[in-house]
Amino acid sequence: MLNIRICVGTYCYITGGSDLVKVKDHLPEEIKEKVTFIGSACLGCEEDKQTAKPPYAKVGDVMIEDCTPEKLIDEIYLQLGIER
Amino acid sequence: MLQNTKKFFIEIGSYQHNKYGNIVCGDSILFHKSVKEDRTIAVMSDGLGSGVKANVLSTMTASMALNFRIRREPIVRTVKTIMDTLPVDSVRNISYSTFTIVDIDSDGDAKIVEYDNPQLILIREGKVFKLETKDTIIQSKVSDNVADDRIIKISDVELQKEDRLIFFSDGVTQSGIGNMNMPFGWGNQVEDFIINILNENPFISARDLSRRIVKQAELNDILKPKDDTSCVVFYVREPRKLLICTGPPFTELKDEYLGEIVKNYNGKKIICGGTTSKIISRELNREIIVDLNNIVSPLPPSSKMEGIDLITEGIITLGSLVELLEQEIPKNLNAKGPDWDMFRMILDADIIDIIAGTKINIAHQDPTLPVELEIRRNVVKKLAAVLEDKYMKDVKLQFI
Repeated sequence: MLNIRICVGTYCYITGGSDLVKVKDHLPEEIKEKVTFIGSACLGCEEDKQTAKPPYAKVGDVMIEDCTPEKLIDEIYLQLGIER
Repeated sequence: MLQNTKKFFIEIGSYQHNKYGNIVCGDSILFHKSVKEDRTIAVMSDGLGSGVKANVLSTMTASMALNFRIRREPIVRTVKTIMDTLPVDSVRNISYSTFTIVDIDSDGDAKIVEYDNPQLILIREGKVFKLETKDTIIQSKVSDNVADDRIIKISDVELQKEDRLIFFSDGVTQSGIGNMNMPFGWGNQVEDFIINILNENPFISARDLSRRIVKQAELNDILKPKDDTSCVVFYVREPRKLLICTGPPFTELKDEYLGEIVKNYNGKKIICGGTTSKIISRELNREIIVDLNNIVSPLPPSSKMEGIDLITEGIITLGSLVELLEQEIPKNLNAKGPDWDMFRMILDADIIDIIAGTKINIAHQDPTLPVELEIRRNVVKKLAAVLEDKYMKDVKLQFI
């Protein structure tokens, strides 16, 4: 299982995190059964406030900053080794 | 620090239903809770007739009765003034409006003044407790040969824990009048109804009980109430406590202190804020689980942690909650979302301890962000104010 962590903290949520959560409902079945979506109160942008680029999401061990649904889906396919 | 030595807490709940077809209620209910004096006063008045005219009469009566009572004016003077002030009804040629006043002081001594409303009911240990009432006749003259004497019932009672004081307008007792099973209305059967509810659910809140009574009265009239129906319930009980933690402490040295408070708090616990919940998760060594499958509102989802009743996002949820609290109290409380979950928990609580961290989130100071991102201190102050003034909660606010 590939873990996908989405930040639902205030800053990330209002800068687009709410859309990232919706990605899980729009993935094809064969992908859905290979991934787990996990919410997180904060993924750690706290330490780096001055240059924070929300929203953040984490696919496996890869942190994606300034994340969009498109970027997130690309990373999921990349890590699963499946062509889009 | 977070202690409350009060003997007991008095919860007040009320519910009203208008006469069928009327858009205003002819009954008025007013509350006053004085934190300084530790005194709770409630007044219910039923104006003559129904509709706007009744509403004006009952509002005048209730507000006069309440303000006289707050100033501890003698009861005879209060009643006389009310009678002299109310306009004389052009059809019935009398100035008239009923009222019930309940005034409870910090020791639990209740003074009850009743005028022409259905008799107040005191339930103690699951039974109706007979109140000793004293009649006081107040004389006044309408004209030289017509006397207009009013009989006021006064009773004093010392309340105990788990007592309930219930009073309602005649819309309740007269509901269902003319029906097969209650030809003269609901009358004394109300008492059995209340006792049945209490047997089923001994800890029912004042709010729910008043609602159940009014709803049943409405049912008796087959959903078309023939009169304005109001009910007020006082519930004397062990205070229900609620802790709301929001915001990281100003210095990290206080993180441990925050963790200790949350761990040892005796009551329900809510944490608002991602960073705050992370701090508590770290201090208590308990994992946070965010539930992504249950997003039902535009607000960020809530999460779970062992021993914590609710974890929500911080400032947006709080802002939405304050907005909810400032609106008129909704009749239907079943909406979903973290703000509504908090709203319901707040309604059920008596003493609310708010711990607000004062650390400023630098990330939120970006002017391009939505205006909902207010400064926590301001939102928390607003929250405390509305809880005290409108919901009469005992609020203790602490900034760390």
